[in-house]
Amino acid sequence: MTRRHVTALARGTFRETVRDRVFYLVAVFGFLMLASTAVLSPLTVGAQAKIVTDVGLAAMVLLGLLVVVFVGSGMVRKEMEKGTITTILAKPVGRREYLLGKYLGLSLTMAAMLAVMGGMFLLLTLMSPGAFSLRFVAAFYLTFLELAVINAVVVFFSTCVSPVLAAIFTLGVFVVGHLSQSIRDFGRLQEGPLMQHLTTVVYYLTPNLEIFNVRGAVVHGDVIGTPHLVLATLYGACWAALLLLLSGAVFSRRELRG
Amino acid sequence: MTRQVLVENEPLVPAAALIAGSAIPVSRAAQPPALRVADLTKTFRSGFARRRLRGVEGVSFSVGRGEVFALLGHNGAGKTTTIGCLLDLVRPDRGEITLLGCDHRDRRARARIGYLPERPYFFDYLTGRELLEFYCDLLDVPRRERRDRVDGALRRVGMMPDAGRRLGKYSKGMLQRLGLAQALLGEPELLILDEPMSGLDPMGRREVRTLLQELKNQGCTIVLSSHIVPDVEQLADAVGILREGRLVLNERLGALADACAYRVRAAGCLGEAARCGLPPWALSGGGDTAAAQGPADLAAADTQQLRELLDACHAAGLPVLAVEPRRTGLEDLFLRTHEHGTVVHGGKA
Ligand SMILES: Nc1ncnc2c1ncn2[C@@H]1O[C@H](COP(=O)(O)OP(=O)(O)OP(=O)(O)O)[C@@H](O)[C@H]1O
Ligand SMILES: Nc1ncnc2c1ncn2[C@@H]1O[C@H](COP(=O)(O)OP(=O)(O)OP(=O)(O)O)[C@@H](O)[C@H]1O
Ligand SMILES: [Mg+2]
Ligand SMILES: [Mg+2]
Repeated sequence: MTRRHVTALARGTFRETVRDRVFYLVAVFGFLMLASTAVLSPLTVGAQAKIVTDVGLAAMVLLGLLVVVFVGSGMVRKEMEKGTITTILAKPVGRREYLLGKYLGLSLTMAAMLAVMGGMFLLLTLMSPGAFSLRFVAAFYLTFLELAVINAVVVFFSTCVSPVLAAIFTLGVFVVGHLSQSIRDFGRLQEGPLMQHLTTVVYYLTPNLEIFNVRGAVVHGDVIGTPHLVLATLYGACWAALLLLLSGAVFSRRELRG
Repeated sequence: MTRQVLVENEPLVPAAALIAGSAIPVSRAAQPPALRVADLTKTFRSGFARRRLRGVEGVSFSVGRGEVFALLGHNGAGKTTTIGCLLDLVRPDRGEITLLGCDHRDRRARARIGYLPERPYFFDYLTGRELLEFYCDLLDVPRRERRDRVDGALRRVGMMPDAGRRLGKYSKGMLQRLGLAQALLGEPELLILDEPMSGLDPMGRREVRTLLQELKNQGCTIVLSSHIVPDVEQLADAVGILREGRLVLNERLGALADACAYRVRAAGCLGEAARCGLPPWALSGGGDTAAAQGPADLAAADTQQLRELLDACHAAGLPVLAVEPRRTGLEDLFLRTHEHGTVVHGGKA
């Protein structure tokens, strides 16, 4: 691993994705959504603040998810099919460096996007009386962690299957990841051992994304403790590292077109 | 000697037997080759049925330092597959590849290689200059030198005016030029170019030809694939012709040129020439004119025969009107290879 190679790849990916029109569409869409929530909700002051917070945070996760899935699933694949990758790998660059660079670049794009959306969100809450709180920053951070894990998932899938499948699988992991706690609890209630084992396997095979979901707590004004943030960071980092290692193993074996 | 007759089940006329005087200069032969490929075999498997598709089979060749080697072959012959294997993009089933003395999977060797893919395509949203700067980082070009390197490469391929534009808006030829710039960026010792002339306008083609000639003169080894035979004829020291995945001919071009036959046109008719005691092989007809009247066309199969024939004409007092080389052109050779699967040398056919 050479830092300069990874940095260059990450910066290239960042530039490429940030300049992509999809990115702006999503940003505009996000802004409209946030703004309309604030303007249209004909509720009492306190309730409005809660709705803005809730919908806003959910919108950030979903829009981030859309960008990660649609940009990420095409990213590695498109470069493989169109041949961009061949000139990169013909330089003294390792395939793992390439993947890591792409991953970091897209994560950087996500961070930038979240920063923009977070900024808009904070401005909006400033306008709704009683809604503003610095606790939101912790929620943004956790959203970033979640997207970073999803990003690793999409990179992994895009090294083995077509972009469309990669997008579908990643969305699947997102859904199952948010339900995984419930799936396990459901399994524990079952009679048969088969169902119990199956749900346990699903639980351990998918990242538990509910760890990153603190919307309920934030909306109700609860404090998000440092221990939770540290734990979530470690959890996210482990999953991302694991997935990237797997992707690296798959990708090093892959055949590319000359 | 690099000359090889490569296909066991398809008999070739051994080229060595046909061609005289094509020794490689000793200084070059003594150095290890820039590229050596031995017994390269690749079968693709595709679809759910894992249907086998021939890529290349038993391809071996080597390219000396400072030489230009051209791969020719019909569409789908396996040129791109061979080149893909050199760069560890395609993983061969069998075979060994040595690049600049290292195994081809060795990453360090790749810093000394420039590669132009068949379909150059980069990022859509970077500008030409940004792309080259990006590649400089990947090549570990010192930061101080980066600007000069990029400018140099852009100037060499004539892309300076468009360097600030987004790649997504480039035309095919512009991408091809940028692909070349990118290959030259690391000041490579070995250039591997898959169809470098494709998509270029006539000026561009000439510029690239001149550029490659320059690089060759500076000692750069070049491996290229091409469909443009005249370009190859001008540039290459040696050619390999692939047919259905097999290397059916691997020949030095100098040797091909040496082997060219000559047509000698002498005053007086053929009958008269015969009476003058010219060697019988000369009378078999240097061309299509079998006319009893008019100038006689005499044939010489190589330079040795040409000398004998001219001496004989001189001795017989027959004025020689013209001597024309009847070159076995590369294109001719290429077509023959593909029609018959064997090489029949023009001079002796
Ligand atoms: N990734 C792949 N999967 C399956 N078959 C492949 C793959 N790449 C190449 N082939 C097959 O291998 C053969 C050789 O292809 P290759 O691209 O090397 O030809 P080429 O000589 O470069 O042709 P062209 O002059 O058209 O560029 C073809 O039959 C092609 O269909
Ligand atoms: N979609 C586009 N947006 C902006 N500029 C474009 C676009 N398509 C082409 N151009 C520009 O228009 C000019 C003409 O491009 P075009 O692709 O028609 O060239 P061409 O004659 O086909 O060249 P080539 O021989 O290289 O294929 C170029 O400067 C190109 O960069
Ligand atoms: Mg090809
Ligand atoms: Mg065009």
